[in-house]
Amino acid sequence: MIAFISGGARSGKSAHAEALARRWQAERGGARYYLATSSGGNDEWQARIGRHRQARGEGWITLEEPVDLCAALERVESGGTLLLDCLTLWASQLLYSSEYASELDEAQGVAMIERLLAEARQRNVTLVIVSNDVNEGMPPEDAEVWRYLAFLQRVHRLVVQEADEVIQVMAGLPQVWKRRGEERS
Amino acid sequence: MQLFIGGTCAGKRDAVRRRFDAPHWHSAHAGCRLEAWRSLAETRCLVLEGWERWIGQRLAGEPDDDRLRQAMVRELDALQYWEAEQGGEVVLILLEMGRGIVPLGTDKRRLRDLNGWLAQDAAVRCERAWYVWNGQVKELSR
Repeated sequence: MIAFISGGARSGKSAHAEALARRWQAERGGARYYLATSSGGNDEWQARIGRHRQARGEGWITLEEPVDLCAALERVESGGTLLLDCLTLWASQLLYSSEYASELDEAQGVAMIERLLAEARQRNVTLVIVSNDVNEGMPPEDAEVWRYLAFLQRVHRLVVQEADEVIQVMAGLPQVWKRRGEERS
Repeated sequence: MQLFIGGTCAGKRDAVRRRFDAPHWHSAHAGCRLEAWRSLAETRCLVLEGWERWIGQRLAGEPDDDRLRQAMVRELDALQYWEAEQGGEVVLILLEMGRGIVPLGTDKRRLRDLNGWLAQDAAVRCERAWYVWNGQVKELSR
């Protein structure tokens, strides 16, 4: 099973994703993992991470991986549930991190996501993927911001197409775009 | 008329391509002027996209927002009339750009406001309106 959950800042998407991951793990068994794509950062960033960790509560095995999502997936046991939070940060690190920027481009990023989804299904890992809606403001003027946005949206459309459940969260309320067994638009 | 609205790279064009057979694309991104759609007499299905560019091109020449809004409304009304006369189909693709922070520059604020008003004016003239989000399409209820 694969779910994609997105929304604006502080829309409640992470809380909804965590609840969904808990429910699916309860139904399917296995361990529950949290994959943080953030790493390091300043005091303010660490405080945000701490706030998220506290809200999640007990029962999560935390993994940290800024770019190589497939390497993180290898650390998840078969039959487990993995919550990935979030794609926006992963996309920026893939394109702009000094450690990876010279090696990876958009096509490789898309290929990584395709592999992640395929391997998760193959290894019976339940995936809940969180991202942000960042494309409904004024279109960017800067070429690099355009590049980032186009890449992120390409990844979003790919994940949404492959996902069994797709939810947009607004004001803490989930709007279901797609759910297992229901017709795709 | 039908309206498709969504954010940058949301999948609006693909959504239209999946639903309409061999439409003519009248696009500001291809350099078409808005009013030039009138020369496309043989077209049965006309898709117009890049409205934010057409608004942007008119900002300097019309400092009054209300007058500019009305000028865009006249284009919508003309399209609606053409559709009824020709028995064709008009499809409007609009960019959702109103959900970010308020721009600092006057022109960008005007563009964002006028684009929002255009979306409202288009929606009331369209039989159906669709919201496109990450490649998914949902009909907006009234």
